[in-house]
Amino acid sequence: MGLLAAAIAVGLGALGAGIGNGLIVSRTVEGIARQPEARGVLQTTMFIGVALVEALPIIATVIAFIVMNR
Amino acid sequence: MENLRQIHNRQKRALFFLLALLVLGWGFTPWPKVFAGLILGILFGLYNFWILVRRMEKFDRTLTEGTRAPSLGSGIRFASGVAAAAIAISLPETFDLIATVIGLMIPYGLMLAERITYHLKHQDSGEKER
Repeated sequence: MGLLAAAIAVGLGALGAGIGNGLIVSRTVEGIARQPEARGVLQTTMFIGVALVEALPIIATVIAFIVMNR
Repeated sequence: MENLRQIHNRQKRALFFLLALLVLGWGFTPWPKVFAGLILGILFGLYNFWILVRRMEKFDRTLTEGTRAPSLGSGIRFASGVAAAAIAISLPETFDLIATVIGLMIPYGLMLAERITYHLKHQDSGEKER
């Protein structure tokens, strides 16, 4: 049961991170293509977005690892 | 607006200051396990951010050159989170597990708070520029 819980936690976390990161990166690349002069601002926004999107899946992975080792 | 390096450097400065305080807590308080866990978590969180900044710069370079874009390295960051938890699990007499997980998220929380205060401070100047 612990393994199943860990698998669901990691899977759903990674799914959310994948969708979120994909949206952020695609919009950033689109924005840079439209306005190359705004590259610095867009890159900074992308950095913050990616960092915040990835915080939750990292926690999910850590919790899954803890559940597996219990 | 600041660039990636400036944000990362400011975050590093704040975290090293916090680490110094935590080392004092580890040495002089009756809860060394909790402080050691926090320090371990923050170090791995800092490593995560360092990888993220490096990958972002690489991504930007490849975007300019028009070559194939690299991955953002999410797997490495997940693995470093697991590594922090693994160290805390394998050495329970030295590190507190809950404190390690909290410490892992401190850089993220700090960055969010720093960005919010930065935008609140520079809101007026941004409106003037427009």
